Formats: sequence, structure tokens, C-alpha cells
Amino acid sequence: MSAARTLAIARRIAIQIMRDHRTLALMLVMPVVVMTLVGLSFYEQKAVLDFAAPALVGVIVMFLVFILTGVSFLRERTQGTLERLLATPVGRWDVLLGYLVGFLVFAAVQSLLVVLSLVLVLQISYQGALWHIFLLVLVLATTSLNMGIFFSTFARNEFQVMQFIPLVIVPQVFLGGVLVPVEQMPGYLEAVSRVLPLTYAIQGLRDIMVRGQGLEGIAMELGILAGFAILMMVLAAATVRRSP
Amino acid sequence: MGAQAGLAVEVVGVDFSYGGLRALDGLSLTVPRGVSFGLLGPNGAGKTTLIRMLAGLLHPRRGTVTILGEPSSPQTAASMGYMPQLHALYGELSVFHNVDFFTRMYGLGKARRQRVEEVLRLVGLWERRRDSVLHLSGGMKQRLSLACALVHQPPLLLLDEPTVGLDPELRATFWEHFRVLNSKGTAIIISSHTMDDAAHCGELAFLRAGKVIAQGAPAQLRAATGRQGATLEDAFLYYVRQGLDRG
Repeated sequence: MSAARTLAIARRIAIQIMRDHRTLALMLVMPVVVMTLVGLSFYEQKAVLDFAAPALVGVIVMFLVFILTGVSFLRERTQGTLERLLATPVGRWDVLLGYLVGFLVFAAVQSLLVVLSLVLVLQISYQGALWHIFLLVLVLATTSLNMGIFFSTFARNEFQVMQFIPLVIVPQVFLGGVLVPVEQMPGYLEAVSRVLPLTYAIQGLRDIMVRGQGLEGIAMELGILAGFAILMMVLAAATVRRSP
Repeated sequence: MGAQAGLAVEVVGVDFSYGGLRALDGLSLTVPRGVSFGLLGPNGAGKTTLIRMLAGLLHPRRGTVTILGEPSSPQTAASMGYMPQLHALYGELSVFHNVDFFTRMYGLGKARRQRVEEVLRLVGLWERRRDSVLHLSGGMKQRLSLACALVHQPPLLLLDEPTVGLDPELRATFWEHFRVLNSKGTAIIISSHTMDDAAHCGELAFLRAGKVIAQGAPAQLRAATGRQGATLEDAFLYYVRQGLDRG
């Protein structure tokens, strides 16, 4: 592994996004627009919004980051740039870590915008520290980023990446405790929800925002989410050389 | 190290399949250093598969690949420049940033900026260095793609159909570059299905159905037909028929 190559890949991704003004604008505007729409849809139902907000943050961050990295990595495959890169002395971990660092900067900005929209635009009531919320969301974004890279290896075009949304994101929305608390689900569904990263993100966010817990209170959720992030990265590393 | 010291590439009895489709079938060939070596054959003959295998992107099911005297490995990647069939460039980046990125991948260090300038001047794109790749013509993208493969001055270049879509003037310029590189000892392996490219090569291998059916200098291959004024196309067809008769 080479830190210089990893950073060069991260730098290249950052320059690519910064030079693509339309994508950059959409990346920055989208979280604010989505969160504002969510706020308007809960007009005069502030108590409901306060309860739903942690789950919405998790869903929106996971969705935005998954799309961002899934499509970007797929484009690297279909345009031949990934293959060309792999013909250089670069290692697969350099590529994955480079991607992680490069995109995490933008995922972090998106996550920050979602969290700030929640507080400043939607003005939800929350307990706990804002930076604890941001930290948990950032770990979720890392998991989602690696999920995007991993699942993109099974798609051959952008349309197919989109087909992974109902397969990967939607089940997590229904089983991760967004609509119905996990504890109230039938036993077999609860078992499924326990192997989904979004379940732990929502649980951790509710612990901070609704129950006012600190870092020690969400240590388990943070640890499990970090575990998911590492697992997804190992899976992505195993498939990174797959041809499109 | 079973390879001869003077060889850039030695491939022995290599097999490769995509699922059930056999792309390389016991293929063997040797490429000397300092020549332009043409891989010639129809679509599906195995040219691109062989180039990707030499680049370390595919691994043979059977047989051995030796690059510059060393068994093919991630380490040998540093000694090669690879130009794929697709342009494989970063569209949003500038001309300069594309080449600069590859200097970083090949670990060029402090010499980086100077090498980017040299190679962009060589392909005539220095004046366009700030332009986004999206605003380049097809020929310019082809030249930039070549620059990315050349930037670390590798002793072996793998070029997959580098002249496709180029106008005659640009094609001549490419071949001028290749001759200069050959004179400095660089071996260049070029896949093509046009006889025009073949005529520029110092040595050729005719590929068909994943096998090398003939290898030699263009004059040697033409002479083998026994006909005065035979073209390389005649030579290719001659070896195809020879193979069919034997089969």
C-alpha cells in the first residue's frame, strides 16, 4: 500500500467533483431541498417530526452517499479508467482508500448539510451534542460509501445501479425502524433488521437526539456501524478487479 | 528466469477463457526489445485479451508470461505503459491533470512536472494543457491517452488499437513517435486489424482464434506466400489456409 498513491487518487476525485460545477451544486443543494420538503410535509406536526427526524437523517445520508459512490465507481469501470488505473503499480487497497478519502470529504459536507438543515431549517427539538450526531452520520456515510462501491461491481450501467436502490436501501427503510420500531416487528423480521446497518444508525441517532445520550451510550452502535464499513470495504476489495 | 535477456516479452502456452468462450488457446510468442511488434488479426482473434494479460489485468489459466525477464507480477506493472482501446481519460479533469495523475501513480516524484510538460509537448497538447478533456477532439484524446502511457518512460508499451479513428496525418505522427521510442530501446506492442499499421511494424504476429498462426518480419511473412508483390493481407490469408489444410 502507498499513502502517496491513495492521496493522489483522493485528490483526483476531489478535483473531478470541484470541476464538475453542476454535480457539485446538486450535491450541495439536494440535502437542503430534501430536508426542507420533509419539514414542510410535517407542517404543524412537530412532535411527529421530532421523533421521525433521526430516522430521516439516516435514510437521506445513506441514500445520497450510496448513489454518489455507486454511480461514480461504475463510471470508472465502464469508461475504462479503473482498468487503466489497475494496470499501474497501484494496489487495490490504494484505490479503495483513495476513493474513501476523496468521497468522504463530500459525503461529510452532505451529512453536515443534512444535520444543519434539521436544526436550522426544520428547527427540531433534540438533546445530546450536535457533533455526536455528526460523528454517527459520518460513520454511516462511510458504510454507505463502501456499499456503493461494492454493489456497483455487480452493475453494468447506471440504470442497474438504480435498481439496487429498491434492493439495498428500501428494505433498510422498512426494516431499520424508520416507520415501525424494530422491537415491535415479528421475530423473524427483527432478526433481519439486526443485520442491517441503518438499524444501528437510527438506533444511535435516536439515543442521542431523543434520549440525550453521549458517546458512551452509542458506543455499541458506532462500533457495529464501523464494523459494517470495514466489512463492505473488504467485500469491495475482493471484487474491485471484476471486469464490467 | 527462463526468458532470454534480449526479450521484452515471452509468452508460453497461454490459455484464457471468458466463461465458456476460449479467447487464448495455447498461445506462445516472443517480442524482442526495441521494436514495434504488431499483433494482427480479425475481431475476436484474442489481441485485446493478450494485451490485457500482458498488462497484468487478466491471469492465464495455463502457461507463463514473462515481462522484461521477470514473471508477470504487480511489480512488472511499473515497467509498462498501457493504452487501452477506450480513451480511458478523466473527462472532468484538464489535459494537464490527467497526465499528472499518472505520474503520481508511477511515483515519479520531483521530476513530475517536467515529465508532464515533455510528454505533452511531444504529443502536441502543451498549449491545450488547461482545457478539460471533454472539450478535446477524438484525435486529441487519443494523443492524450498515449501521453498518459508514455509519461514514466517505460521500456515496454502496450497499445491496444492506438491508431483507430486517427486521420492519416496524425497516424503518421504516431508512427514517428513510435520509431523514436524504438531507437531508444523501447519495445512497443501494438494490436491492430489494419494492414496499414502492420506495414510500419518491425515484427508481426498473426493471431486467429486465440493462437499465433505466424510470426516474423513483414517481408518474411510476405515472402512465405511464394508470390511476387504479395501484401500482408495475402500473407495473413495464406497462413489461415495453411492452418485450415493442416487442421
